[in-house]
Order: sequence, then structure tokens, then C-alpha cells
Amino acid sequence: MSHFDEMTALLYLESQLDDDHAQDVSTHAATCPECRELLHALETEGVWLRESLAGDEEAVPSRLIDAPERHAAPWGWISALGLSAGGAYTLWSGFIEPWRAQAAQAGFTQGNLFTMLFFSGAFWKGWDAMRSLMEFLAVATLGVLVMWLLRRRWRSFPTIAVVLGAMICSLAIPPAASAAETKHGNPNYTLPAGEETKTDLIVFADRTQINGNVDGDLIVWSRSVAVNGHITGDIICFSQELTVDGPVDGNVRAFAQKVTLNNKVGKNVMAWAGELNIAEKSIVGGTVTAGTGNGELNGHIAGDILAFGGDFDVNGSLGHDAAFQVETLHIGPSAEIKGRTKFQGSREAEVSPAAKLASPIEFTLKKHEHERNYSSPRFYWHQTLLWGASFVFGLVLILLAPGFLFDAQRACRKIAQSIGFGLLFLLATPIAAIIVCITIVGLGVGISTLLLYVIAIYSANVYVGSWLGERILGEGVGVGAALGRLALGLVILRVVGTVPYIGGWISFVVVAWGLGAMVLALYRYMRPQLAPAIS
Amino acid sequence: MERRKTTGEMSAAEIAEVLTQVRAGDADAWGELYRMYGPAIFRFCRRALPTREDAEDATTEVFMKVRQKLGTYDSSRPFTAWLYKVASNHCWDMLRRRRIRQDLETGDLETLPLEHPDPSQLERLQAEHGSKEVRNGLQKLPDRARMALVLRYFAEMSYDEIADTLGVRRAFVGVLLLRARHQLRDVLAGTDSSFMLGAGGAKR
Repeated sequence: MSHFDEMTALLYLESQLDDDHAQDVSTHAATCPECRELLHALETEGVWLRESLAGDEEAVPSRLIDAPERHAAPWGWISALGLSAGGAYTLWSGFIEPWRAQAAQAGFTQGNLFTMLFFSGAFWKGWDAMRSLMEFLAVATLGVLVMWLLRRRWRSFPTIAVVLGAMICSLAIPPAASAAETKHGNPNYTLPAGEETKTDLIVFADRTQINGNVDGDLIVWSRSVAVNGHITGDIICFSQELTVDGPVDGNVRAFAQKVTLNNKVGKNVMAWAGELNIAEKSIVGGTVTAGTGNGELNGHIAGDILAFGGDFDVNGSLGHDAAFQVETLHIGPSAEIKGRTKFQGSREAEVSPAAKLASPIEFTLKKHEHERNYSSPRFYWHQTLLWGASFVFGLVLILLAPGFLFDAQRACRKIAQSIGFGLLFLLATPIAAIIVCITIVGLGVGISTLLLYVIAIYSANVYVGSWLGERILGEGVGVGAALGRLALGLVILRVVGTVPYIGGWISFVVVAWGLGAMVLALYRYMRPQLAPAIS
Repeated sequence: MERRKTTGEMSAAEIAEVLTQVRAGDADAWGELYRMYGPAIFRFCRRALPTREDAEDATTEVFMKVRQKLGTYDSSRPFTAWLYKVASNHCWDMLRRRRIRQDLETGDLETLPLEHPDPSQLERLQAEHGSKEVRNGLQKLPDRARMALVLRYFAEMSYDEIADTLGVRRAFVGVLLLRARHQLRDVLAGTDSSFMLGAGGAKR
């Protein structure tokens, strides 16, 4: 045997060689003074290291003299728990229990997600409350994140308790009281003229006629709905046909095949309909948002209009701006638009010379995915902005959760595994979130899950981009190098993503890949730390 | 190889009894357990982590973890080994989460040429540097190199345990240790090179 190397010598000394190999080393060392000397030096070094590390001149600090105790849990935490319990109870009694009661009264079970969502939404007085909940969740998430980041700096538990308490108190703000009258048609329902419902009215019927007045919201599931009376609140309607001939003080939110408005609407109109007709006599006090195959504006809208869909005819008047993203736009002779008019469509709008427009129509030709204008600077500016947004997201991750980003980046190396997990996550998460939403208690959880899901999808580029940058630039050290890798990787992904035809598919794979890597990294974090020790 | 003793003259049976009492919620037994092992775990954390404050925090957190997880401890195995495992996992996790570690990967390290030491120079290095200098030098090493030396030569962990803690292949542990020794020699000899600028080397 020739001289052995230092690695072999170390493994020999640490009893890490197999018997045959160890015997060879031993035999050789017996006859080779040089190797024997190496062995001796390494062995001495091992002893020296052990003795040095065992040195015990540093005193244990006084704050570690006493054992950390559970009963040391400070009063602050107890207060926080108490507040949490109070907040949870308020949330349950204020929000959830009334929903349940009203849903049960309306003959609903928890079986239908969408009706439950809209139904509950109605009792929230529209989407404003939904937005408030979202805001609360966002603030709460941020609060938790801040607390997590500062946890090592906060030794004063009461401080945390105060913050927690404040958060929980915000939950305890009681919602506005609500009540509703529910009617089931047999099969039709009519609220006779001259009668007035002093509360919200919920109707399930084949055909619905509201000839009387409703002093509250009108919520209807019906094949056809005709509203002739006065509605002081909102109309929320799911039907084939909705005709509103009476005045509405609030909003009209309709999901219908055909929507016709013939009277005043005090606030806003949101319609998802095959046909929408805002008739000549109709006046909308707020804005109109419409997704429609065939839309007509013959009346007056005080605010803006935003319309998507097929064809749109404007013959009425508009107090502010108009934005149309429709196939064809026709502006008739009696049309009047006092603000700007933006139109994105397949061909230029047909505008009557008699129409009164405050400014010329700003027309943009609608381009399909494969018809991107690669020669337009705007296209590259847009791509640069998108790249910048991803980069800033990655920067935040690097600063706030570098370990996690590093793990996710490493997980990207397992390409097939990451893509597989990513696809699973991509498909399973929304399904799971919807299932959670179906149980009424889980509505908030389900919606938050979906929000996190969207954020996770957005973050996928960052992980794959970092990995890609590492492949090209190598494993430089520090935040600067990490940012460089991220920047380069994101540039490449963005460039590849804009390649006609295959770019979209590549982006999809990147999303699945990054999501899978994120899942693997999360698994690594959540894996019980003691498992290896126990096993 | 015998695990570093931390319990003085306490026998395994006595330790088992204390643990039983702790599991039963006996505060005095918990205090006794902490007094027995707290200093050793603090010293371990002090060597594994870059600052004294980190080590103090980690010691408290390790014992809170121990208390939570004591029910999962397998009493057929040495308690000290389990305790060090908990501590090393915790410290490594702290380091891992805190910074973007850019340690070179297994494959790269395996291909790095390792210069053979001159045995006489090695002996001279040992003679010229005391324990405190070695510990100070240790703080200048990259996280993974420092952890490897502490796990092996302070906590007396096996190669399997080190591999498991640091998340590397077992076959790589020897390379890691040898490389860490070289780095420590370089630091002590004042010839430490680029790795000191890395994730683990700055701001001690």
C-alpha cells in the first residue's frame, strides 16, 4: 500500500473505515514512519480540539440560573387568551350564529357553496363587509408576521398581550343587526301592491312579482323577477330574467340571462348578464359594472361605466368616464359621455356624428396571446414592470425569510419531484379551500387559503428564478449574490415566458415547479425536529 | 466513543427517576434536571452559535422544547445523547433560518484538493494556541464547519447523528470534519482565506 491521504487517516482514527481498509492502513502505518507521524499528528489534534472545546471558563449567565418554567407564563398571555376567547365568542355569536339561523330559516343547509356565499354576503350588507373581513385577515396576518419576526426581541410578554388584545378587540366589534323575511313561492310569489315589507325580503319562487314596497334588501332566486314596487335597500338577484320598473334606493346586483332597468337606481349596478338594458327612463346614481354579451345604455348613468363582453350600444348619457372591453362598440346619435372614453376591442367603435363625446375615443386594438406586439416599447416596459414586481417580492422573501427561500431554492433541484408536488398542490388546494368554505365556520379559513394560494402561485417564479440564477452564476455568498441570482433568474423566466405558443406552457411548468419546491421546503420546516432523535 | 459526561456522579437509574418525576409535573425535579444539564447545553450552544446572546436564548428554548417533548424520549437510549440532539437540531435550525447559507455543496467539497499538513507544523500550531484561542477561532468558521466540529468534538456525536443533524450524506461527514479542521488551522495560523467572508465568517 502506498502512503494514505489525510482523509483516510482521519477516518481511520475515527473508526469510520471498514475492517479490511482499516487493516491495510494499520499494516502500512506500522512500516511507514511518515504516515505514522501523520496519524499521530491528527490524533493529537483531535484530543487538542476536544480539550479546547470542553474548556469551561465562561460562567453560565445569571438569567439562565433558574429553569424555564411553564408557570412562568406571564399574566399577559393569560389576558391575551382571555381576550381571544372573548373575541371568538363574539365572532361566533355576532356573525356565524345569525348566518346559520337565517340560512336555516331560509331552508338552506350548508350544501351549496355559492348560495351560501352570496346569501351570507347579502346579510353582510353586500361586499363591503366581505372587504372588511378581507382587510381584517390581511391586517391580522401582518400582525402575526410582525410578532413572529420580533418574537426574539420581545421579552415583555404583556406587550404582546396588548397587541393580541387589540387585534382580538377588533374582532369583537358587533355587526349590524339584521333580520329577514323569507318567502317560498308556490310556485310563484307576488308581493301585492300596497303591501310593504319592513325588513329584508328573501324569495325563492318560480316567478316573482314585487308590486309592493320592500323597506330593506330584496334577495331573489327565481326564474323571472319583476320589480314594480319601491326597494329601499339593494336588489340581489339570481334569475333568468330581471325587470326593474320600480325605484331602487340601493344597489342592483344581478346574475341573470336578461336584465332590464326601467327606473331609478340610487347607487350602483353590477350585472353579469347575457343581455343588459339600461332603458331610457332609467337613472343610475352611481357606477355600472357589467359583464354582458349584449349591452344597451339608453338611460343615464351619473358615474362611470365599466363593461366587458360582446357588443355594447350607447344611446344614453354618462356623467363620468367609460371603459369598454367589448368586441364591438356602437355610440348612437343621442349618446353623451362627459368623461373619457376608453375602448379596447376587435375593431374601432362606430360613432354617430351626432354623439356628444367630451374627448375622442381612446381605442386599443385587442390582441390575442399569440399576437403580442414585440416591436412595441410598451410591451417591454410592461414586462420590465412585471419583472420588477417579482423581484421586489423575492427581495422581501430574502430579507424576511432567507432560510425558507434557500430551502425552496434547494428543493428546486429535485425537478420531477417538485413539479409533481406542485401540480398536486395546484389542483388540490382550491378544491380543499372550497370544501372548507362549504362548512360555514370555515368560510374565512377557505377564503384566506385561497388568498395564500394566489400568493404562493406568485412566489413560484422567485424560487425557480433563484435556482436558475444559481445554476448560472454559481453559489456566491451573501444577500447581494442572492439578489443577483434572483434578478438574472427572473429575467430568464420572463423572457422565456414571452416566447409565442410555448411561453405560456413553460410559465405553467415553472409555477408547478416553484409551488412544489415551496411545498417541499414547508414540509422540511414543519417536520418535527425531534423525529430523527426519537427514531 | 463515550458521550461527554454532564451529570457528574448521577447514575442512569437516578436520571430515569428524575425524568419520571419531571414527566409527572414535579417542578423540583425539573429544576434539578435543568441544574444538571443547563450549563452543558449552554456551553454547547455557546460554541455552536455566533454570539453569547444567541446561546442564552437557545438554551432557554432548548429546555422548553425538552419539556414539551420529554414524553417522546426513548428511555432505552442515553438521555444526554437525546438532549444534545435536541440542542443541535435547535441551533442548526436557528442558523439555517437566520441567514442564507451559501455553504458549498457536497459535490464541490469532495472535489476540493486538501493539502496534507506538515505534522511538525500541526504540532507547533497546537503548542502555540490555547483553548480559548481555539474557541475564538471556531467562531470565525462558517456555520456548517463550526457545527460539525462542535457536534463531533464537543457533543461526541456519531457520524450518523452529525449527518442527520446537518442534513448531509453520512459519507460526507468525514470530508466536512477534515475541511473544518483545515479551516480552523488556517484561522489560527492567520492564513484564513475566502471562506471567512462567507455566511458564517462575518461579524463575530
